[in-house]
Amino acid sequence: MKAGLNSAVPVLSVLTALVFCGGRAWTQQNGLSHASDFTSVEYFAAPNQQRMKSRLSGAEAQPQAGGLLVIKKLKLETFDADGKPEMIVNAPECVYDSLKGVANSAGPLKLQNGSGSFRVDGEGFLWRQNDSLLTISNRVHTVVESTTENKVAP
Amino acid sequence: MKKFCLIALFITTNSLNLNAQTNTTAAPQTPHGPTQIDSDKADFDLTAHKAIYRGNVRVSDPQMKLRCEWLVADLPQPGGRMEHIVAETNVVIDSTDAKGQPMHTTSEKAVYVYQVKNGATNEIVTLTGNPQIVNAQGTQAGDVIIWHRAADQVQFINPHMILKQIPDGAHGGTNSRTANTNKPAAPK
Repeated sequence: MKAGLNSAVPVLSVLTALVFCGGRAWTQQNGLSHASDFTSVEYFAAPNQQRMKSRLSGAEAQPQAGGLLVIKKLKLETFDADGKPEMIVNAPECVYDSLKGVANSAGPLKLQNGSGSFRVDGEGFLWRQNDSLLTISNRVHTVVESTTENKVAP
Repeated sequence: MKKFCLIALFITTNSLNLNAQTNTTAAPQTPHGPTQIDSDKADFDLTAHKAIYRGNVRVSDPQMKLRCEWLVADLPQPGGRMEHIVAETNVVIDSTDAKGQPMHTTSEKAVYVYQVKNGATNEIVTLTGNPQIVNAQGTQAGDVIIWHRAADQVQFINPHMILKQIPDGAHGGTNSRTANTNKPAAPK
């Protein structure tokens, strides 16, 4: 039941974004609606059901057949249970399956933590919202910048 | 012409000036050169906070370069290090020792653990699966090799041999002693 409720939230968000669109611009292209400022939110299970687990947003969303959305300027943010931002993914474009909670693209993406000290670039990705798993398919490059302790003889 | 002469040296870890305890005192934090990881593919489990790199994995940091086929690492805290890394399959590590001499290490598995406890830094790489180290002195192997990076010390468990390159006509000395070392704690 919890899983059903949680998984319904992004769908409702998508529908909300598409139907109401918060007063944003709408266009009609070949009979399909086109929304700007798309957002889909997933929440933690109880007792943190009021807190965001992830937020997938885009500058625009173009509905496709089969419940798919082509999202431009994707931004995916994940949060811990205290509401602190954990990771941010940016990609120029992806296809989002709002029913399965899956986003994918053959194009580039960037992943980084909130401070930018952990950064990843790659090409081609699959994001599975239900288990918060991001797979990067090609040319993965990670940079970790850290502080370290000076070693002093005891 | 040179030939390889196999010198089977069974040595104690003490003869290599090795210590199991390698704590160093932590001091104020300073920037550290970036660590870079490249691979063909990767999975980032954002719930478990783990990164799994697969295929032609290459790690480069100011102290060493590592290659392997599979590597899993804990995602670091902001500004922090990767504190637990497991590398598997054809692991190759190139680094330099305290004297600046190159050290070439191979194994099937390497487990890196970074800990700061009671103000002391422990940075340990445990190598298993036919581990060996090649340096200017020759090739050293053991059932397990434990590299204390912070102290730049290497410990061999059941050391096997030293392969030493000796020119023709030279006599290679043999100094065989029975190894007597404690088993290390199982890596995480």
